[in-house]
Amino acid sequence: MSGAPEGFSEIKLIDPFEIHTGPVWRKDGTYAFRVTEHHCNMRGVVHGGMLMTLADMTLGGAVWDATDREPSVTLNMQTQFLKPAREGDLIEVTPELTRRTRGFVFMRGDFKVNGETVMTVQSVWKLLGKE
Amino acid sequence: MDTAPNRLPEGAEDISTGGFNRFAGPFYRLPDEGAVRRFAFAALEKHMNGAGTVHGGLLMTFADIAMSRTSRLASGAKSCSTVSLNCDFVGPGRLGDIVEIRVSVSRQTRTLVFLTAIVFCGERVLMNASGLWRIA
Repeated sequence: MSGAPEGFSEIKLIDPFEIHTGPVWRKDGTYAFRVTEHHCNMRGVVHGGMLMTLADMTLGGAVWDATDREPSVTLNMQTQFLKPAREGDLIEVTPELTRRTRGFVFMRGDFKVNGETVMTVQSVWKLLGKE
Repeated sequence: MDTAPNRLPEGAEDISTGGFNRFAGPFYRLPDEGAVRRFAFAALEKHMNGAGTVHGGLLMTFADIAMSRTSRLASGAKSCSTVSLNCDFVGPGRLGDIVEIRVSVSRQTRTLVFLTAIVFCGERVLMNASGLWRIA
């Protein structure tokens, strides 16, 4: 249950809260996450907070890659919960860059279980400039 | 000078009963202020991001928990689910901050609750949130 899906490898998480909630796997531009018991609420459904944390991690990872590793912070995130995901489900997302300007990056992502979207997210990122 | 509070206010009640709430928490309910529902948590090491501020995912988790609880308290519904949530990250939270949220109901129908919330520490605003909950 905890093994990476075929062809995916675990990404190195640095943020304490991400290490606490991970692991997250990756293959090219696609990220994957397996729902386990401690990610769920009392009804066995993955917690919205966990899903939004996953969204912040993965869309943030895509910003990092798209900007050639420029630090950034989340300015805004809009989330729609379409369908519950449950313990054991594998959630996958391929973040998309909607637009990049000098100071901002606009991202979106559809989070899917077995090809069906469970959550859609749009986020705006402020670039902090390279050292 | 930072005049942020460094301990939980009087009357804080642990609401992290199990599952992800306990794993990500602990989170606390504070006494109501009129129709405004209040909740809090103390920012711990595990809540941080790599930049040493409170992780956005944890702030959104806190808002989701507090706003879900408010939708049930206000409506008397047994269960609820988040339909949508919009969050603006106004300023950073720091290790040791006592972070509070104030949640207000904008409108309630038979099946839906519309909510707004502000997340803050002392006089610093960390996040604005608004969202829609389905109740049953």
